[in-house]
Amino acid sequence: MINLSVKQRLCGAACLALVTLPLQALDFKGALKDAVKAQIGISEKPEAATTSQSSTPATTEDKLAQVNWRSPSREDEIAVGRQVTGTILGAAPLVKDAGLQRYVNRVGRWVASQSERADLPWKFGVIDSQDLNAFAAPGGYVLITKGLYQRLRSEAQLAGVLGHEIAHVVQKHHLKVLQKQALLDAGTSFLKDNISKNKLTQRAVNTGAEISARNLDKSAEYEADSMGLVLAARAGYDAYGLAEVLQTMGQINQSDDSVSLLFQTHPHPDDRLAQLSLISGSALDTMGQGKALDQRLYVLKQ
Amino acid sequence: MLAACFASALWAAETGIILKPDQLRADAFSDAKVVATVNKNDTVDILNKKGAWLQIKTKQTTGWVRLLTVKRAQSGTSNVAGMVGVATGRSGTGKVVSTTGIRGLSAEDLKTAAFNEAETLQLEQFGVSADDAKQFAKAGGLSANTYPYFNGGNP
Repeated sequence: MINLSVKQRLCGAACLALVTLPLQALDFKGALKDAVKAQIGISEKPEAATTSQSSTPATTEDKLAQVNWRSPSREDEIAVGRQVTGTILGAAPLVKDAGLQRYVNRVGRWVASQSERADLPWKFGVIDSQDLNAFAAPGGYVLITKGLYQRLRSEAQLAGVLGHEIAHVVQKHHLKVLQKQALLDAGTSFLKDNISKNKLTQRAVNTGAEISARNLDKSAEYEADSMGLVLAARAGYDAYGLAEVLQTMGQINQSDDSVSLLFQTHPHPDDRLAQLSLISGSALDTMGQGKALDQRLYVLKQ
Repeated sequence: MLAACFASALWAAETGIILKPDQLRADAFSDAKVVATVNKNDTVDILNKKGAWLQIKTKQTTGWVRLLTVKRAQSGTSNVAGMVGVATGRSGTGKVVSTTGIRGLSAEDLKTAAFNEAETLQLEQFGVSADDAKQFAKAGGLSANTYPYFNGGNP
């Protein structure tokens, strides 16, 4: 309702601006700003009547509809991450092995406890895909493929891989990309059609599943590597777990289907290793010998 | 030809590629005497490992570098060109570690996937508390440390 009236104002202003006053052009800017504000949830007025909504409180849809994209709260972040994660699970479900899932959660939660966001409701899962990949979503959701898990040789390697994903969450890498997208979308879609904020969030989140596997710049990946290594070492693991996994992945042919998405979305493992080597310098000298725990690595059923 | 590569890998020394320019030291610690330098993409033989250090042999000399200075290659020294290709990641004709013929999870799959509530609930059920994880860590003999991130703090 608010949006509609602002849109009418904008339309009027735009048409007038063609023939008349610069004053109207100023008004155009103001109108656009108000409209975008209304759509991304920072309007002064409470959101009125987004018509398609049924009004039981605290449903997933409600939570998503209320996301403040300019400055997402912790709850907003979790709601968005849950939606992104559930969409990835729609493409590849969990491996049906409760022991495995519990194990990965214990290792992951312990590593996450060493991070600056230990209080998030961290959730880890192994998904049924032969791909070699892992995903992080805002709010503390981390998924690793069965294909990658099966290549691991120690709990320290698992900790390194999870540490990399945990670092993405700590640094809000994906959340920032989603925010940018939602804010841009709020601006452009307003000019085309009057979509509700709920729809807007849906759109941002739907592309979120894809974005969680894409669109981070190289520096974010290198940062996640270096932080992930440190997080695993803080947790008492051998610091070289992640580097060992990168060594292994570097030996897989890039044209192999199981790594095509990984290689599309990440710098080559050799470049990541080189970067890790440069950034760590002599810092690893002062770290004590951690544990590899190769014997404790959970062996998949079947 | 592939068979030949594998055969040579069986008896050749383990080799590695240098990832960054570094100093080669007389022993496996950071203030040991510098005996030479190594350059990015040098091919070396890996002789030994001691803690976080690798003993390597270059064309001229032998010494120790930090573990992360070297990318370990598994093939034999006969396949130098292929290894460099693998090391720079631009070859694709190096060693092929075959995985499966199953088509991978593509960006398109993720884009078109539908949210799955049942799976999401299951994922959430498997979550564990910080205390549970701590017990598990303790059982494995893990203890927490307070190392800073590299570059001295917040990266």
